[in-house]
Amino acid sequence: MGNVKLSSMGKRVRKIDGVELVTGRAKFAGDMKFPGMLYGYARRAGVPAGIIKKRDVRTALKIPEVAMVLLAEDIPGPNIIGILPPFDQPLLAAEEIRYEGESIALVVAKTKTAAKEGALAIEVEIDPLEPILEPDEALKKGARKIHPAGNITYSKKLIKGDIDKGFKEAELVVENTYHTSFQEHAYLEPEAVCAVPCGDGRVTVYASCQSPFHLRGHIAANLSVPASRVRVVQAYTGGSFGGKDDVAAEIGSLAAVASVKLGLPVMIAHEREESIKGSNLRHASRIHYKTGARRDGTIVACKIEIILDGGAYSSESPFVTMKSLIHAAGPYRIPNILVECTSVYTNKTYCGAFRGFGVPQVTFASESQMDELASRLKMDPLKLRRKNALKPGDATATGQVFERSVGLLQTIDKIEERRKSSDLPRDREDDRWLYGRGFSCMLQGISNGAEGIDVVGASVQVSQDGSVLLGVGLTDMGQGSRTVFAQVAAEVLGVTVDRVTVRQVDTDSVHDSGPTVASRSTTVGGMAVFKAAAEVKKSLQKMASLMFKAGEEQVSFKNNFASLKQDDSARIPLREVAAAAYWSGFPLMNLAFSRAPDADFDHETHQGDIYIAYNFGTHMMDIRIDRFTGRVQVLQHIASHDLGRVINLTGVEGQVEGGSLIGFGFAHMEKIESEGGSITNANFADYAVPTVKDRIPTETICVEDYNPTGAFGAKGIGEPPVAGAASAFANAVAAATGVRFTKLPITKEDILKAGGKHGRYSH
Amino acid sequence: MHLEFICNGKKVSVDVPADMRALDLIRDVMGLTGTKEGCARGECGACTIIVNGKAVNSCLMYAVKLKGKEVFTIEGLSEESGKLHPLQEAFLEEGAVQCGFCTPGMIMSAKALLDRNPRPNEEEIEEAISGNICRCTGYAKIVKAVTRAGLGNNHG
Repeated sequence: MGNVKLSSMGKRVRKIDGVELVTGRAKFAGDMKFPGMLYGYARRAGVPAGIIKKRDVRTALKIPEVAMVLLAEDIPGPNIIGILPPFDQPLLAAEEIRYEGESIALVVAKTKTAAKEGALAIEVEIDPLEPILEPDEALKKGARKIHPAGNITYSKKLIKGDIDKGFKEAELVVENTYHTSFQEHAYLEPEAVCAVPCGDGRVTVYASCQSPFHLRGHIAANLSVPASRVRVVQAYTGGSFGGKDDVAAEIGSLAAVASVKLGLPVMIAHEREESIKGSNLRHASRIHYKTGARRDGTIVACKIEIILDGGAYSSESPFVTMKSLIHAAGPYRIPNILVECTSVYTNKTYCGAFRGFGVPQVTFASESQMDELASRLKMDPLKLRRKNALKPGDATATGQVFERSVGLLQTIDKIEERRKSSDLPRDREDDRWLYGRGFSCMLQGISNGAEGIDVVGASVQVSQDGSVLLGVGLTDMGQGSRTVFAQVAAEVLGVTVDRVTVRQVDTDSVHDSGPTVASRSTTVGGMAVFKAAAEVKKSLQKMASLMFKAGEEQVSFKNNFASLKQDDSARIPLREVAAAAYWSGFPLMNLAFSRAPDADFDHETHQGDIYIAYNFGTHMMDIRIDRFTGRVQVLQHIASHDLGRVINLTGVEGQVEGGSLIGFGFAHMEKIESEGGSITNANFADYAVPTVKDRIPTETICVEDYNPTGAFGAKGIGEPPVAGAASAFANAVAAATGVRFTKLPITKEDILKAGGKHGRYSH
Repeated sequence: MHLEFICNGKKVSVDVPADMRALDLIRDVMGLTGTKEGCARGECGACTIIVNGKAVNSCLMYAVKLKGKEVFTIEGLSEESGKLHPLQEAFLEEGAVQCGFCTPGMIMSAKALLDRNPRPNEEEIEEAISGNICRCTGYAKIVKAVTRAGLGNNHG
C-alpha cells in the first residue's frame, strides 16, 4: 500500500456533503416533520440530590394538547442508559435524584409549548439530600453513598519500572498540583431525535448522534424488543465532540417508547439550557504531579495522582480514567512511572467523552511540569523536551514500542525552525504589553485500543454507470470523515471524488462499527473502505483485462477510465467496464471489515500494547498580555502534528484550527459556574464560547511519518490539537508573566489579579 | 393576525398568532428549515435572517414584525438553476463549513455585510459575524471565505 501512486491524496478536497450544508437543504433531526408528529419535553429534577416522594401527573394530563406522560414505570425495559458498566443511569428517575438535570418524566404533546407546559405542571416532591459537590467530600470516610457501591466510579494504576528506584536516581525533583474545570461541548445544534413507528413492528429513530449502534442497543433494551426491530438513522449532526452519546441514547429511548405507545412520531429537541445541564461535560480534574530528573535533563521518574470529578453517573468515566493514566506522563521516554487515577461521583452533571478524552487535562499538567523542570535546570524548554522525546523503538508509558510512525522529533524540528525564524517581539515590550512564548508536546492514542474491540464495517458498491456508493458504520458529525472515506474509495477505484456518494449511517445497512471516537475514523474506518474498494476493484480489473485482452496486471484505473499501463491512450470508460462486469456476473459490491490488532494489555498495571498508533504533536504559542486589563492576544500559534499521511489538507487544517480553539477556550475562557450543585451559566451569554473575535491564528504544519496501520498511512487528527493548544497557552502565560498558573482556565481576571497582588507585572 | 411580506423574492400571505416568533413562522409554517435554532436567546446567531437588508436573530423577533418587509433566508441565496451564491462557493472552497449548523446564519450575516459593504476588511467581517458562534472551525476559514467572496465583488 505504501507504494501506491497517489493522485488525490493530500490535496484540498471540498466537503462532499458541503452543498447541502451551505444551502440549508441538509436535514438535521430537528428539521424533520412527519404526519401527526408530537413533541416530547422532560420534567427535570431541578435539585442536585434528593429522594422523590411524589410524582403526580394529573394536572399535566388535563392540558388538552398533552397526549401522554411517561414515568419510569412506563418504560417496558430496564429503564437504564449508560455506555459502560456499571450502567448506573436511569432513563427516568423514580427514586433518587443524583443531579439537577435528571429527567423524571416525559410529557408528549401536540406542540412544543404544550409539552413544556405539561412538564412544568407535573407535581413533583423531592426530599432534598445534602448534595455532595466535591470529590474530596465524596471520598471522605462515611460520606453518603451516591450509588450503592460507593462514590468511586473507577480507580486504576499505571505501573512502569520501579518508582522508588527512579526517584533515588533523581538529582532534582519538581512537584506541583494542577486543576482543570468542567467544559461544555457547546456544539451549535442541541441534541435532537425523532422516532417514527413504522407499522411493521419496527421503529425508526432519526438522531443527532455520535454512535448510532449505541442508540440502537439502548432503544431496543428500553423498549424490550430485539435490536433488529430498531433502526437508527443518523441525521445530519451539528457537532458532537464526544457529547452526543449518552444523551442521544436518553432522548432516543424516550422518544421511541412514546412513539411506539402512541403509534405516532415523536420528536425531542433539547433547548440550550437542557443541552448544558442535561448532557455530559468534560471531567474537572485535580492532578498532583512529581517529576524526578538528572541534572542533564534526563527524566528518570514520574509520580502522578489524578482525581477526576465525574459527576452523577459513570458515562465514559472508566475509559477517560484509563486514557488519563496512559497519557499522563506525556510523550516522553521515562523508565519509572506510577500513575493513579480515580474518577469520583458527585451530585453534578455527569462527565464523559469530550474531544481529547482526559488527555487535555493531563497534558496541561505534564507540560507545565516540563517548563517548571526546564526553569529549575536553567535549560531551554524545547531542548528539555527534545532530550526526553519518544523515538522509534522507545517504550511508551505502557511499555509499548513503535518502530514506525513516531514523528515527535520531527514535529519538534518544525517548531524549532519556526522559533528561529520568528523572534518573539520582546523588545517591543512596553508599559502596556507583556510578551510570552509557550511550547508543548503531546501524544494522543489512536483507536479504541484495549478499551474494547476495534472494528469498522464498510460497504462499497459500484453501479453500472461506474459511480460508487459507500456505507461506513462511523458517523460524520461535521469533521469531514465522509469526504475522507470518499477519497479513499476514489483513490483505490481510480474514480474522481464527485463520482462517490457516502450515505449517512443507517444501522440497517452497515455493520456495527462501534462508537465514532478516539480519532479512529480515518485510521480504522479508512482501512475498512480501502479493503472493500480493493475487493470490488478485483472484478473491475478482471473485466477490463478481458476487454483489453491483456493481463490484469496491465490494467490501471484513473479519472473514471480503465487504461493500459504501457499505453495510457488505450482506455475504456469505467462505466463501460462496470456495466460489462455486471452483465458478466462479477460482484460489484463488497462488505469489508477492518479490525485493529487485539491489544495485549494488563488492566491492573496498564502495561502492554494498547493503541495501533499515536498522533504526536508540538505546539508553539506567542501571546501578549495587557498589563492593565489582563487581556490576552495570541500573536502566533503553530501546531505541528505527525498524522502519518494527509488525506484531505483542508480537512486537516479544519481539525487543527477548530480543535485548537476548543483547547484555547478550555485554557482561557470556558468555565461552568455553579452554586449549590446548580449550574448558573447554562447559556451562551454567561458561558463564554469563543467567538470570531477570540479566534487564534493557528497555523498547521503536517509531519507525515507513514503509519502502517492506517489507510494510506494516515493517523487521526481530531482530538490531539485540543491538548496541544491548551498547554502551550498555559506555558506562554507563565513565560509572559513569570507566574505559574496551576488552574485552567487562566482567565483574564486571574491574570490581572495575580499581577496586581504581587506587583509582578509592573516595570 | 394576518400579514403579508416578501420572502426570498416571493410574496407570502399568512395568518399567525400574535406571539409567534419569526423563526417558528419560517421553520414550522413555511417549512424553510435552513434557518436553525441554537439557543432561542439571540446568543448564537444560528437563526440569522435578513430583514430589509439587516441581519437579525429571528428567534428574538415576532413574526408579525415581518409585515410588509423584505425577508431573505438561506434558501433564497442560491439561484433556482442551482448556481450557488459566491459566499456559498467561498465557504466550500475555503473549508469554512464543518458540521454546517451555524453555516446558514453565518452566511446570512456575511451577506448582509457584503450587500452594504462589498469589499469589507477583516475587522468589518469580524464585527458582522461576531454574533454567530461556530464551535467547529475556529473561524479563520470563515473569515477567509467572506474575504474571498468580497474580493469577487469587482464592481462593488
